[in-house]
Amino acid sequence: MKLLALPLLLWIFAATAAPFSLPLETLGIAPQDEAYYRGGVIKCRNGSGKFTRDQLNDDFCDCADGTDEPGTSACPEGKFYCQNAGHSPITIFSSWVNDGICDCCDGSDEYGSNTTCKNTCWEAGKAAREKLKKKVATYKSGVVIRNQEVEKAKVAIAKDEAELTKLKGEEKILQGLVDKLKEQKRLIEKAEEEERLIKEKEEKRIKEEAEKKAAEEKKAPDASQEADSQDTNQNAQEGESKVAEHHDGHVTDNENHSPESGTSVEELDIKAGTGDDALPKEMSAVPTKEQDLTSVNSEGLSKEDLGRLVASRWTGENVDDVGKGDKKGHEDELDIPEPAEEGLEDVHDIPEPAEENYAGYHSEVEDDRHKFDDDLSNASDDEYADDHEEPDESYKSDDDHKSDSYKSDDDHKGDDHSDLTASGQASWLDKIQQTAQNVLQKFNFFKTPVDLSEASHVRKEYDDASTKLSKIQSRITTLTDKLKQDFGNEKEFYYFYDQCFEGKEGKYVYKVCPYKKASQVEGHSSTNLGRWDKFEESYRIMHFSNGDKCWNGPDRSLKVRLRCGLNNELNGVDEPSRCEYVAVLSTPALCVEEKLKELQQKLDSASSDLPGHDEL
Amino acid sequence: PLLLRLSALPPHALRLQIDEDYSTSTPPNRRFRVPDVLLPDVDSRKLHLSKPKTVDGVSTVALSSDLDVVVKHDPFELTVRRAGSGNPVLSFNSHGLFDFEPLQESKPEGETWEEHFRSHTDSRPRGPQSITFDVSFHGADFVYGLPEHGSTSLALRPTRGPGVEESEPYRLFNLDVFEYLHESPFGLYGSIPFMIAHGAGASSGFFWLNAAEMQIDVLAPGWDGTASAENGRIDTLWMAEAGVVDAFFFVGSEPKDVIKQYISVTGAPSMPQQFAVAYHQCRWNYRDEEDVAGVDSGFDEHDIPYDVLWLDIEHTDGKRYFTWDRSTFPNPEEMQRKIADKGRKMVTIVDPHMKRDSGYYLHEEATAKGYYVKDASGKDYDGWCWPGASSYPDMLNPEIRDWWADKFSYQNYKGSTPTLYIWNDMNEPSVFNGPEVTMPRDIIHYGNVEHRELHNAYGYYFHMATSDGLLKRGEGKDRPFVLSRAFFAGSQRYGAVWTGDNTADWDHLKSSIPMVLTLGLTGMTFSGADIGGFFGNPEPDLLVRWYQVGAFYPFFRGHAHHDTKRREPWLFGERRTALMREAIHMRYSLLPYYYTLFKEASITGVPVMRPLWLEFPDDKETYNNGEAFMVGPSILAQGIYEEGQKSVSVYLPGKESWYDLRNGSPYKGSVSHKLEVSEDSIPSFLRAGTIVPRKDRFRRSSTQMVNDPYTLVIALNSSGAAEGELYVDDGKSYDYQQGAFIHRRFVFADNKLTSTNIAPNHPGKKEFSTECVIERIIVLGLSSRAKKAVIEPGNQEVEIELGPISLRSGSSSVAPTVRRPNVRVVDDWSVRIA
Repeated sequence: MKLLALPLLLWIFAATAAPFSLPLETLGIAPQDEAYYRGGVIKCRNGSGKFTRDQLNDDFCDCADGTDEPGTSACPEGKFYCQNAGHSPITIFSSWVNDGICDCCDGSDEYGSNTTCKNTCWEAGKAAREKLKKKVATYKSGVVIRNQEVEKAKVAIAKDEAELTKLKGEEKILQGLVDKLKEQKRLIEKAEEEERLIKEKEEKRIKEEAEKKAAEEKKAPDASQEADSQDTNQNAQEGESKVAEHHDGHVTDNENHSPESGTSVEELDIKAGTGDDALPKEMSAVPTKEQDLTSVNSEGLSKEDLGRLVASRWTGENVDDVGKGDKKGHEDELDIPEPAEEGLEDVHDIPEPAEENYAGYHSEVEDDRHKFDDDLSNASDDEYADDHEEPDESYKSDDDHKSDSYKSDDDHKGDDHSDLTASGQASWLDKIQQTAQNVLQKFNFFKTPVDLSEASHVRKEYDDASTKLSKIQSRITTLTDKLKQDFGNEKEFYYFYDQCFEGKEGKYVYKVCPYKKASQVEGHSSTNLGRWDKFEESYRIMHFSNGDKCWNGPDRSLKVRLRCGLNNELNGVDEPSRCEYVAVLSTPALCVEEKLKELQQKLDSASSDLPGHDEL
Repeated sequence: PLLLRLSALPPHALRLQIDEDYSTSTPPNRRFRVPDVLLPDVDSRKLHLSKPKTVDGVSTVALSSDLDVVVKHDPFELTVRRAGSGNPVLSFNSHGLFDFEPLQESKPEGETWEEHFRSHTDSRPRGPQSITFDVSFHGADFVYGLPEHGSTSLALRPTRGPGVEESEPYRLFNLDVFEYLHESPFGLYGSIPFMIAHGAGASSGFFWLNAAEMQIDVLAPGWDGTASAENGRIDTLWMAEAGVVDAFFFVGSEPKDVIKQYISVTGAPSMPQQFAVAYHQCRWNYRDEEDVAGVDSGFDEHDIPYDVLWLDIEHTDGKRYFTWDRSTFPNPEEMQRKIADKGRKMVTIVDPHMKRDSGYYLHEEATAKGYYVKDASGKDYDGWCWPGASSYPDMLNPEIRDWWADKFSYQNYKGSTPTLYIWNDMNEPSVFNGPEVTMPRDIIHYGNVEHRELHNAYGYYFHMATSDGLLKRGEGKDRPFVLSRAFFAGSQRYGAVWTGDNTADWDHLKSSIPMVLTLGLTGMTFSGADIGGFFGNPEPDLLVRWYQVGAFYPFFRGHAHHDTKRREPWLFGERRTALMREAIHMRYSLLPYYYTLFKEASITGVPVMRPLWLEFPDDKETYNNGEAFMVGPSILAQGIYEEGQKSVSVYLPGKESWYDLRNGSPYKGSVSHKLEVSEDSIPSFLRAGTIVPRKDRFRRSSTQMVNDPYTLVIALNSSGAAEGELYVDDGKSYDYQQGAFIHRRFVFADNKLTSTNIAPNHPGKKEFSTECVIERIIVLGLSSRAKKAVIEPGNQEVEIELGPISLRSGSSSVAPTVRRPNVRVVDDWSVRIA
């Protein structure tokens, strides 16, 4: 201990009290590199040349790569090593050496400047070690949670896969059944058709006979003719109403065009201005792009609206928004008159971002999709409920997540699949097969006329079976989609599949649903920040892309950086570039054992590097 | 009747003033003469001309020993001509296009003065009052100047006459043009009604001091139907909406003389602080203190120097200037202090539109004092800009300028610190709901002046008041830094300008060079374009090229619109980071040279960045070269303006040779060289016969380079000689005005480099000293193979070995390099190659 403490003492003494008496042969050199600098002539590391020992740290750059000046600022590409006893050693750019700014906690980088640097390594090191300790503790617990999740994921995936296999088997059986029923249905329909044709023929014959009879009797137009003419009339009317509809279409078209014609009128106005001899007019007629852009169609706009409109070119904001309180800060302008409708319609060259519309549209679609998915998964959940002796872990979390993030889904739970409930899977499949079989066998094709009740039985069976088939197929698709996902090297992200994470930042709530989408919610309006894209940087980033379009900007996207933490917590949402969001998610999934080992080692060495510090 | 006044401004300038004779006509208002633009001593410097000799209605008077002024009485024509040869240089009204609409006492019955522009109405209560005349530049091949227009051409292209398809005249009318075109005679943010003409053996200039809207036609030879036989003459037609004729004719033997004369009338560019010449990082917007800290440390992590971090409008509380959005910037002083700890500065934006908000102290005060411009009905003009409803202080009024200047004191500007400087934007002025996005022409200013009369100078007065504010704040000891978007003749005295809201495309990169060169020719040497282009996302290759070109702009700032992706130089992969770092390093290594050039500009007005013909006035090849440029007398660079360009043709003017700035390879002069283009840099060359001082250690900011040693790069000409200068002061204060600076001349001849003092002796002066030494002398084109050099005094021997031109991994050792002469820059010494 004492032996190690001695050189440390010397170092500190040298760094603070006698800056120029530093040993030039070691200045800025990492201990592991000291061997490289032994000898009389030393090579530049990049092979560009060599230098003599007295050129080492002589404050003149002989190797462009900085080999000869590890301890000075002479080489722009050099690196300076500071020992930082009591803390961790670091390597800094040579450009930071003697620049008057303390960079090494031991102050060794400012040996030749007027700046006196305090040695802060002990406090800094202590703080860093504390931090590291905490980190190690987090990792320790995190690794446990992670391992549990990995185990659970294995089981759940196996279950999913088993279910999928089973479903595929059932699908096959059911498909066969449906095919048969379909064929039966086809035959019935064929038979019915034949029957119908025969009937028609018969009717025609009877009718012809009747006509013959009538003609012979030379009577006024009969009822059938009257009916015909009525038919024609009706057709004519239909035709008319179609035309009318067509006209309506035109009318709307015209309406759509009318603002454009307004614009061209405006253009004419401008041109008319050109003819004016007056100087300013002549000048303002320059037909450049600027002019075109300047030519906001301002007729019908109030002065304020015009101001907002022009501002929106630079800001790229929805003109409507401008008045309402937005990033450009018109929050206080509450009593802004709404632009006249005609005025707004006229404004062609200001694209409407219509973000709300987009959001509305997307979220609708999204909701529908979920509704659909959930119907199916609920259907199968309910269907199979009896089978599962214990509740499936993954399904349970599925439900949990639904209840807190997709409340609306609850409404649909258990709806419209009563036919599938309350019966075990084996029994329903057996039952359906049996019924179908019965129906198939019962039906007698040779009986004429077709037995209508039997025919409807077949139809019903066909409908039931195909409904069930499509439900099974949906479930298969859902499961296949799920199992197709990248759950990480150890499936540690499996349990993210049906999770959503929320974080609040200012007035927004950010909702991140891995493998699905991310959104920014403010009150009732929701903006899509992106659909699931992929993991990046070896599972350290979740990337969501192709979110709602930003006017004058990119489609929204979000990158969620993952880091080890005991709970799944979303925070640090930020928008460093317009519509490109970032966030941080703490999760046990990132608490990797290897990293723990590495940190533990670092901590161990940081603590063991402090021999006898107390003795100082 | 009109009154005409002629006066001579020595040595080679003539002033012509024409106004109405108010003793015979009595319009309700007099015509506007632009105040506070000309240097205050211009009037006292003028010489009264000797009594003219008049023969047959032609009066002749000597302007100087070598120039005559000839005035033909009817029709009126004025000619400045060489006394000996009688060759005309400049003439006025040679084509009889002079027209002067006199002010009327009242509107005649049945006439309409009102004008309509879209939904806007200009009441024009004073009626028509325009002025038109023609000016001819004799012996000229090209005319230049008249900023600001987007253009890829350095010379002003003809706008009318044979061969001109269709063009509007050049328009001078300060406007905030959304997404301006890179090629258009349409007026942009600033106006300088100054034109320079140049041809082999003739340089002249014409300046019309008038702040109303102006249009200028450059007439193609033969425009008037006469054969264009006459050797080298360019006719121009000038029109202004209002004002008077107050025109200056400048005659130079060299083009630099013409600039010097213009500067002698409108003032020399102010000397910037050292930091201002370095790299600036801006974005609309760095959103909060965390963002600021992140960008700041990003530069450090990537070993990229920068000196100034900028905050755009979002830093304010609802666009109320001089305030902070405390939710994003809770501790502005602390933030500035942290940045300042690294020797860096910050800049905040202060625009002229004041939010009409009763809770805003500035608005309250301006309203109470009646400091806003008035609309035609006499009420405070209520326009629209970033904050919504806005009013505009009347910067024409000196009292209001004083009031404004006081707002920059530390007490008044809460959250400001001594390392905070200012950016004036939107000062054309930009008014979102005004005609052409500016103020209506019938707005009334101080002294009952109509806005139409002073429009082009509004931004100038605003810039002036802001600059004065910083001067006051620093008690006259801290040189102001104010960047302005609008400008007028004389703005060079108040700070820097930039070319406004350009676009991230190759064409805008290309047009930035003629635009910045044109600003330099017209006094505004401290100028640049937004690196990367303001609107849109530059392709990474374009961004790299822009840094490589922009690192040569006198004003070097990266900026971006808030809809664009982040583009700090380390965001595009390691390779591109290295390239952008190298471009910025190049600029930092040349800072001593740039600072010396700024010093020269602050005395003579000769710009830092120069068209080739300013250095090579006899070389016709250079006259319309807008793609290459000189930085000072020593460096020539050629921009690369095309994506994936593989080769480029570079014309190197003059008889002497050139050396590649990066590797020292020699190239012949007066030859077009077809060169391969590398992605590493744009082609750039050192001119043989010159010496460039550098500092080759890169720090976090220029502040930390103060004590770093110099490198001298000597490029020998064919007779083995070279010379250059170095100017050093404290980089900050006005002590240099009392002699606290070092100004050295380095001369290399007969294998010996000598450093001599060229600072004039100021009695009772302050002193500046530095321990800085010269660590390295690189000699390009040296024939001697000597291994030693001898330093005098002291007879000290130092080694010469082969070294690289710049310290970069992979650069090869090519040039004899004097190793560690370690002579102090303040001393007289010589280094002899033994």
